[in-house]
Amino acid sequence: MEMSIGKKAWKHRLTPYLFIAPVMLLLLAFNIGPLLGCFGISLFDITTTMNNTTFLGLGNFKEVFTDWRFWNSLKVTVKWTLVEVPAQLIIAIALAGLLTKNTKSNKIFRAIYFMPIICSATATGIMWKLILHSNVGYVTYLCRLMGLGKINFMNDSSITIYVIVFMSVWKTFGISTTILIGAMQNVPTSLYEAADIDNCGKFGQFFHITIPGIKPTLWFLIMTRVIGSFQVFDIVYTTTGGGPNYTTETLVSYIYTRGFEINRMGYASALSIVLLAIVMVITIIMYTAMLRRETD
Amino acid sequence: MSIRIKRRLAHFPIFLLLLIIALIVLLPVVWMMISSFKPAKEIISYPPTFFAKTFSLENYQRLAKRLKVFVYIKNSCIYATLTTIPSVFICSLAGYAFARFQFKGRNVLFLMVLATMMIPFQVIMIPLFLVVKTMGMYDSYAGLVLPKLAVAISIFMMRSAFVALPKELEEAGRIDGVGEFGLYWKIMMPQVMPTMITMLILGVNAAWNDLMWPLLVTSSTKMRTLANGLALFIGSDTSEYGPAFAGALYSILPMLVLYIIGQKYFVEGTVTSGLKG
Repeated sequence: MEMSIGKKAWKHRLTPYLFIAPVMLLLLAFNIGPLLGCFGISLFDITTTMNNTTFLGLGNFKEVFTDWRFWNSLKVTVKWTLVEVPAQLIIAIALAGLLTKNTKSNKIFRAIYFMPIICSATATGIMWKLILHSNVGYVTYLCRLMGLGKINFMNDSSITIYVIVFMSVWKTFGISTTILIGAMQNVPTSLYEAADIDNCGKFGQFFHITIPGIKPTLWFLIMTRVIGSFQVFDIVYTTTGGGPNYTTETLVSYIYTRGFEINRMGYASALSIVLLAIVMVITIIMYTAMLRRETD
Repeated sequence: MSIRIKRRLAHFPIFLLLLIIALIVLLPVVWMMISSFKPAKEIISYPPTFFAKTFSLENYQRLAKRLKVFVYIKNSCIYATLTTIPSVFICSLAGYAFARFQFKGRNVLFLMVLATMMIPFQVIMIPLFLVVKTMGMYDSYAGLVLPKLAVAISIFMMRSAFVALPKELEEAGRIDGVGEFGLYWKIMMPQVMPTMITMLILGVNAAWNDLMWPLLVTSSTKMRTLANGLALFIGSDTSEYGPAFAGALYSILPMLVLYIIGQKYFVEGTVTSGLKG
């Protein structure tokens, strides 16, 4: 009798661990393990076949900081972030403001804007590549009709990066808009009523009540978009592959080419750790800034 | 003029702006879909056409000849199924335990789960690739699927859903004498079905369109998914727009149907994971 009670209690205590075991083991094997492994691998010269490994110590990291293509890819990534995030957010804030009310036409517009979430980067890339084609593209055709010259959208070192930024905004602005609409609908209506009495116009209301009301969501969105920008790969891979002249080669694109095209796993891991460090620093800075704003 | 009409007129420029943006979103996709049925010559003709002058299945035939496109589609279906249904199930198990049980190490372990959310996939892709290769899972379904099963945001959202359930529900189940798993399976899980469906739909869409992991971990044509097979195809030969468009239609159409049916879940999932995450 005593035995069975003890057994039961033991089993009872074990239950939650059984519930979380599958997920925990998978996270350990495929997330936490590889993260720790990344530090180890970055100290070696190692290929995908994993024979002929040599210990380099911090050699890979030394190389990273003198590698012009790393600095170039970092510059491209920062440029991407500084253009994509503000463009996306300004568009999303404006549209969310216009579409907050749940009218029928607003719902249809929201559904349309959100739709590109289902388009893969591959499909998006193919599509825009031909629309912007320098000889037969639709936009090229329209440009000629309007008397603008031939613009080489996909192969011009000074503008191609902005063209891909546009594709990225095209694909994701609906998501940001949707998140902001959710936040704007949660701003208490009593605040607007007070503003009505104070007689400030529609714009005044938007800047004095709506925007402060959605600040936490806005901060969250900025943070995730900035971190996301540092991980851009798909749309670059399916459109330019980093060209022309490396002007669209982002950090992750560069990591990919080092690891899987040049077959230098150790060096690519060192680059990954630099990426992790950058993302961590950005997260910490933005998070503390957010907390400080909130306590103000 | 009545006030109502005046209001309508004032709103017209806004409506026009919204309409133009809607067209910028929709027209390229519609144009690509139509173009996939144009003969190759018409696709690269100048000036470009919007509607097809002649209807043809040439691009679809050429695509099927050049790529094993139906094998790719089958693999995408397998990838999208195996990374979502089992994933939602085990993540809900964990979310349930974190929400409804008191146990030693609960907070530390949950914090660990949240911390993995901060690790970008791109940072661990190289060692993950080596792990999968060492385990002998390179270029296999196991290698494709297993690393994608434990999803931190999914666990987090399932936990929030289970936390919100009333205590009485659990107690009623316990009085009836169902076991711990029965309690989860028969009583608690059905209550969070909307969250599970949301995770499922977002997961299917993400897996179907996932480019990077299938690109890294598959090498043979019989293992490629549609998204990465097509990406490699357009990378190798940029002049093949017709077949590429046909492939893109295969890639967009199933998700478009899913979006039309489950738009509510797409939106809800995005908003809640956006707000709470």
